[in-house]
Amino acid sequence: MLSYGFMQNAFLVSIFIAVLAPSIGIFLVLRRYSMIGDTLSHASLAGITISLACNQNPVLGAFVFTSISGALIEFLRGYFKKNTDLILSIVLALSVGTAITIISSGRLHTNADAFLFGSVLTVTVSDTVLVMILSVISVLALIALYHQLVYIAYDEEAARIAGVRVRLLNYIFSVLVASAVSVTIRIVGVLVISSMIALPVAAALQLEKGFKTTLVFSVVFSVVDIMLGLVLSYYLGVAPGGFTALVSVAVLIVVILAKKCVRIKATSKV
Amino acid sequence: MIKAENLYFSYTGAAPYILGGVNLELKDGEYVSVVGDNGSGKSTLIRLILKLLKPTSGRIETTAGRIGYVPQRSDAAHSGFPITVREMLDSYRHLLKLKNRDVIDDSLRQVGLSDYSGALMGTLSGGQSQKVMIARALMGDPELLVLDEPSTGVDVHSQKEIYSIIKKLNKEKGMTIVSVEHNLVAAISNSTLIYHLDVGHGHICTPAQFAAEFTGIGLDGREE
Repeated sequence: MLSYGFMQNAFLVSIFIAVLAPSIGIFLVLRRYSMIGDTLSHASLAGITISLACNQNPVLGAFVFTSISGALIEFLRGYFKKNTDLILSIVLALSVGTAITIISSGRLHTNADAFLFGSVLTVTVSDTVLVMILSVISVLALIALYHQLVYIAYDEEAARIAGVRVRLLNYIFSVLVASAVSVTIRIVGVLVISSMIALPVAAALQLEKGFKTTLVFSVVFSVVDIMLGLVLSYYLGVAPGGFTALVSVAVLIVVILAKKCVRIKATSKV
Repeated sequence: MIKAENLYFSYTGAAPYILGGVNLELKDGEYVSVVGDNGSGKSTLIRLILKLLKPTSGRIETTAGRIGYVPQRSDAAHSGFPITVREMLDSYRHLLKLKNRDVIDDSLRQVGLSDYSGALMGTLSGGQSQKVMIARALMGDPELLVLDEPSTGVDVHSQKEIYSIIKKLNKEKGMTIVSVEHNLVAAISNSTLIYHLDVGHGHICTPAQFAAEFTGIGLDGREE
């Protein structure tokens, strides 16, 4: 399997996805913003279709459009303070509307299905390089802003009092989410990106540990999910995106059951 | 320490005002309890002191270099958040740009929770969680400590411990305390001054005056 060049690219990209997606996802989940990840993944489809129509790199197009959508969500938060759920509907309408209009216009020079469901065949060398650059920059940004992001997630008011520029950090975080989404689309596909962002974190949260331990386990579960998803989907001849999402759900269920078993054992000893 | 002049505030920028012409001057080293009915503007006043809100008109200033803040206890906001006491305090230390890591242990020692640094925040009792918030507020040696209903959702024994810590900080370290209080007995028993807010207007009085005028509760905390 690894003798194929496209599979080597796919595995390399998958490792970067496995690190970046849950590292951003943990902040989204803990801020109860999982649906923003979902909205931005749909927004990336508009970026993909625009860039395909203009013969540009779709990963780059997804990153730019998703960053703009993330910033738009942050901007609209000031206008819809009492109906924040409306913001996601507005951004979804704008991005999905753009994508469908372009796809239905027949101006795309390629099939967009690979981006909806994920595909190992379409990962080019230039995509791989772009994914690596975006991932490294994003992880470095996360390390630099780690304490601010932890505190905004834990206690935004205390962060403001301590002098954190919360609004600016939220805009930067939107770009980081956009980066995670655009890195993930090639392999996982637009429709199930949120599974890579949220499910490994959901599994790690079951362990009830501190923040750093939860983050490390999120990445570990993410690596397990995406590697199993990639290998099994290859042999089963199905799209890697959907199958990786199924593996993520299966791993989460296994972790929940294991936790229940440990609790039952502990109480039976008492 | 804090001076407010003709302070007006409303979220819309127009009448009706939550605070309507507040004048207030608090000196260093005072322990002031801010009391009043729900909606009287107590929490708005401390949010203005903390610069989380901007006055609609008038001004409010503080000379404190660093302000420590203890928020109202909220189980729902932080439940399930995977963070240990040490991680939470260490991140806050980074926000305050304090290089000395010992401030974490020092602040936990001051509230008697040295053994809890490895505990998850979500597993602490109401009293312990409130003490950790006081420990956080103490990092960086603030000159002013602002508390929002420190005894809400806390058992009686822990309430006594919390007020004992606050009084000690006020008496021994000379720290200025501003505490929003629903607990009138605690306000009368512990503070040196009481600021009574009533529908956006306030006046300052001693605990004895407040007890006699408004509540019928004596200085010993017993109802008369």
